Amino acid sequence: MSSVAQVRTALRTALHGVTGSPVTSLVAAGTIGLCLLLVGAFMLLVSNMDRLLDRFGSEIRVSAYLSEELDAPSQQELVARVETAPGVESVELVTKEQALERFRDAQGERAALLDGLEENPLPASLEIALVPEQRNQAGLRVLGEALEGLPGIAELGYGHEWIEGYQQAVALIRGVAFAIGGVLGLATLLIVANTIRLSIYARREEIEIVRLVGGSRSFMAAPFLLEGGAQGIVGGGVGVLLLYGFYWILLPSLRGGLELLLGYAEPAFLGLDESLWLVTAGALLGVLGSALALIQDGDRA
Amino acid sequence: MSRGEGPVVSAGALVRLFHVSKSYLAGSWALRDVSLELEKGEFVFLTGPSGAGKSTLMRLIFAGEQPSEGQILVLGRNVGRVGPAGIAPLRRRIGVVFQDFKLLPRRTVEENVGIALDVVGVAEREKRARVFAMLKRVGLHHRRHHHPLSLSGGEQQRLAIARALINDPEILLADEPTGNLDPDLTLEIMDLIADAAARGTAVFVATHDHALIERYGRRVVRLEAGEVVHDAPVRGPLS
Repeated sequence: MSSVAQVRTALRTALHGVTGSPVTSLVAAGTIGLCLLLVGAFMLLVSNMDRLLDRFGSEIRVSAYLSEELDAPSQQELVARVETAPGVESVELVTKEQALERFRDAQGERAALLDGLEENPLPASLEIALVPEQRNQAGLRVLGEALEGLPGIAELGYGHEWIEGYQQAVALIRGVAFAIGGVLGLATLLIVANTIRLSIYARREEIEIVRLVGGSRSFMAAPFLLEGGAQGIVGGGVGVLLLYGFYWILLPSLRGGLELLLGYAEPAFLGLDESLWLVTAGALLGVLGSALALIQDGDRA
Repeated sequence: MSRGEGPVVSAGALVRLFHVSKSYLAGSWALRDVSLELEKGEFVFLTGPSGAGKSTLMRLIFAGEQPSEGQILVLGRNVGRVGPAGIAPLRRRIGVVFQDFKLLPRRTVEENVGIALDVVGVAEREKRARVFAMLKRVGLHHRRHHHPLSLSGGEQQRLAIARALINDPEILLADEPTGNLDPDLTLEIMDLIADAAARGTAVFVATHDHALIERYGRRVVRLEAGEVVHDAPVRGPLS
């Protein structure tokens, strides 16, 4: 008894099934393809927005403005203390003079206006960079709680407040994508299950005969699972290709809208791993759809 | 029942039915209180009028149905208790020739026979050799690439027998295997079945053909209205 022979038989039977009812197979693969096209479109958007977040994530810093009365040794003491706070990667002390200098540089031609100042109004501050994994709202919150109330710190400034809103938007789109993906996935599963049921119905005579000559349940189920998996892989591949096609065709006309979401960051297509993930999801949908059909029509198969 | 009141329990019996009844409708019996045995290498004709319960008895033996009452032991397994997972291994040891052949119309002759080897996972090369040898035995090797619908009735019948015998079954059940065949072909097919019995297969042949029963002179079980009314070896015409 050879399991290789049984695998070959299952593959051959699955091939018979696909070639025997090509329209049914195309409907199943096409449904999976369309479902994954939509899910893939959301993935594409979210992955680009994530990329933008990663890009700006490195700029997430906390500014701790120091009390006027803090002298230089106390400032150094505070630097040492802040360096031990959770999630801190580095701390840079910006003195009043350096702050004024930076401000002057930032003003460009209007810097001359600052010459009239009798005294430097800018406070000294600590520029605190976070470790990469803490460059998010949670990391900022933890650090903020640790710094708040520290003697010598007058005020905390976070900068890039838009990132919080952006992160929420990304999370919202991701949530919508999951919800739509879930609903579409379920609908696809049912459609695939029904097309496989048609296939089971078309082959009920063969199934009956195989049962009569001693075919086990797994022997009869394996070709249908393979058929579903193959339809899923084809559907997933078609979905990715369609997405790629639409991406390049529609990109020029969508640029305006995308700038709202991505700023001036250049949009990029899904990576190989994400594309493979879509194809794998297609295969899973196909196999699960077949399994569902086999459960529903267990008496026939 | 001319064999006595109860079944004689034999250690070598491959099929044992103990007081088996089958009812599809309340109060109506397809089989009633049937007890019999089939031993290794034994060749038994099952006869009786249409609707007597011959096909039902065969279906019960290959676990196509469950008895309403009584116990059936096939190859040492209680058919009523094997469960769905136990039926497939049991059927691989039983060859069945159906009255309507049950051939796969979209598969070739050799694929139809090979399917019985596929279910037990026989390697491709061995399968091809065994299928060819079996098709040669039934005289169909030259038609191995044809589809069943292009075969004559007799050829389809031989194909069904080839599939039933390809796994060297311990039990062969043949439901009217020579129905609608001409006399020469009938003898050809019966010789194949008798040959299987000579090799040790326990054979159960359901038939209406009295001439055939007389010619082969084997044990005859006669069913009428679901009951065994005669069970004896015959050497001449049935009374």
